[in-house]
Amino acid sequence: MKLGKILAATAMLTLVAGMASAEGAKIFVIGGKPDDPFWSRVKLGAEHAGKVAEAQGGSVTWLGPQNYDNLGPDAAELIRQAIDQGADAIVGPDWVPEAMDPAFEAVVAAGIPLVIYNAGGLEAADRLGAMNYVGAVDYKSGYAGGEYLGKAGHKNGACVNTLPGAANIEAFCNGFNDGLAAAGGTGSVLQLPATAFGDATAVAQAVRAHLLENPTIDAMFAIGDQDTNATISGIQQAGKTGAVHVCGMNFNDSILANIQAGSQACAIDQQGYQQGFFAVSILNNFVNYGVTIPTREILTGPGVIDASNVELVIEGVKLGAR
Amino acid sequence: MTQNREGRSSGMSFGSLARRPEAGSLVGLVLVYTFFAIMGGAVFVGAPGWSSWLNIAAEVGIVALPVGLLMIAGELDISVGSVIPASQMTAAIISGHFGLPILLGIGCGLGVGLLVGYINGLLVTRTTIPSLIITIGTMFGVMGLTLGFAVLIAGSTSVFLVPTPLTKLVLGTFLGGMFNVSIFWWIAFAIVIYFLLHFSPLGNWIFALGGDRDSARNAGIPTRGLTIWLYMLSGFAAAFVGILQLMTYQNAQVATGQSFIFNSIMCVVIGGVILTGGSGSVIGIVIGTATFAIVNQGIFFSGLDPNIGSIIIGALLLAAVLSNDGFRALALKYSTKKG
Repeated sequence: MKLGKILAATAMLTLVAGMASAEGAKIFVIGGKPDDPFWSRVKLGAEHAGKVAEAQGGSVTWLGPQNYDNLGPDAAELIRQAIDQGADAIVGPDWVPEAMDPAFEAVVAAGIPLVIYNAGGLEAADRLGAMNYVGAVDYKSGYAGGEYLGKAGHKNGACVNTLPGAANIEAFCNGFNDGLAAAGGTGSVLQLPATAFGDATAVAQAVRAHLLENPTIDAMFAIGDQDTNATISGIQQAGKTGAVHVCGMNFNDSILANIQAGSQACAIDQQGYQQGFFAVSILNNFVNYGVTIPTREILTGPGVIDASNVELVIEGVKLGAR
Repeated sequence: MTQNREGRSSGMSFGSLARRPEAGSLVGLVLVYTFFAIMGGAVFVGAPGWSSWLNIAAEVGIVALPVGLLMIAGELDISVGSVIPASQMTAAIISGHFGLPILLGIGCGLGVGLLVGYINGLLVTRTTIPSLIITIGTMFGVMGLTLGFAVLIAGSTSVFLVPTPLTKLVLGTFLGGMFNVSIFWWIAFAIVIYFLLHFSPLGNWIFALGGDRDSARNAGIPTRGLTIWLYMLSGFAAAFVGILQLMTYQNAQVATGQSFIFNSIMCVVIGGVILTGGSGSVIGIVIGTATFAIVNQGIFFSGLDPNIGSIIIGALLLAAVLSNDGFRALALKYSTKKG
């Protein structure tokens, strides 16, 4: 029994030593579905940072769930998989703390350097003993949208929530309402049923019905790029183009075109590329050289895209970084 | 073998009305519409309300019609959920990313639907695996291929497409700023499938297939060909909805369409199609779709918590299955009396 333990410990030590000297850092990144437009950018950032890791003999592995139906437990399982596969460092979002915190605690208990990114904030990083938090703060992203529309003189806002119950989406909407309130307006939340998620027509029709029922609404906030497009369509169908102004989280080509054309006021960018890039870089440098970033809470957003900077963003899109 | 030849039934007595497979769903539709008309008031009863739920009904309805045919024939099709993004991504990559003629893009998008349908049909007829499992398999397969090719070719999971004025007019306009042209396509699909199921000999074959597959084959019905053909129809319809959404929102996303899987099945079941196959009607499916859409949209006009809409749809589904059995028993009773 005792001998077995000693042998195992020795084997582990040799293994770890061997890895650190010859193989570089094996970094595992837990993230969203690879077909999620936002997460594909985070993944690109992680892969670009991974090129340095690969040059040093290391690797970056992306672990994402098949779907978001059972997000917390699925993501916790991915974290445990990363530990089992002998990760030298792990990056993960704290989407559902209740389900995922025990798995993150196991990472720290195993002595594996951990960076929390995308969701959870510095609070989660501190609670779990992670090195750092890299990401946008959801509440601040929503706040930026509310503040932008409020300062433009709009008074009555609604946040379109297509995923009621998800903590980060609630934070977007709370932030939006508070940001609007700080600029002298009031905000509310339009909650959609689960059958509408991912269906642009369902979102558009819900927005339109809500606007017809609440004619004084002049500002809206959408929680993702698909929802933003659908929201704009709903506004057009309600005959409210020009009367209702929209800011949305994230962006894509058509949203940039809408900002250029003036049918969308602003897009709030979490700058996902930065999240993947910096989280992986911090860990790779730490594992290989022991260097740290003393600044805690690396904010990658909110970045506001509006008519004033949209051309620059379009250039970034062409280069694949935005 | 159960057969419902709607074209033959005539007369408006209670017996013949109750014997129609859509009788129960019609009651549901009237109840739901009355409820939301009272709750939603003038806006819901007027053109904005009608266009609102018709726009929803049209897209689900185009998918629900052939899915309903398959369910009458005793099969399921889950893969529609990934055919929608696959077709629109194909069209957007060909015509948006590469800038090739838009008709080529649309043709290839619809072709993807037909191809997936053909593969589904082939697998269902050549193996003994239940169609639920086969189409879940093809759904994941198509989902993965869509993502893979989108990222490989376009380098992005969302591809932008500006339709030509003509294609935008025919496939993605809002008439009067409200009524999506998809509504007219839904009506066209419903008329074609109505004649197919209730007037052409194919209709009888479909009912026979769902009633008793072995007897149907023994009676000389080309069951294999018919099943493959039905799957191609549902693949085509799903692909068509993908194209409609692409032309409307001018943007193809790899992650869209999943909600259509359950929504289409719910519309069909609320419309009185019996899950074991062999019974159902096109009018019933249309009524079921309308009911589903009215609940979905009515909730936003009523000022109620939108989650209540999901509860109502769930309750309607259970009520539909229960009443289907009830009406079926009633129908059998009446027909034995007569005959």
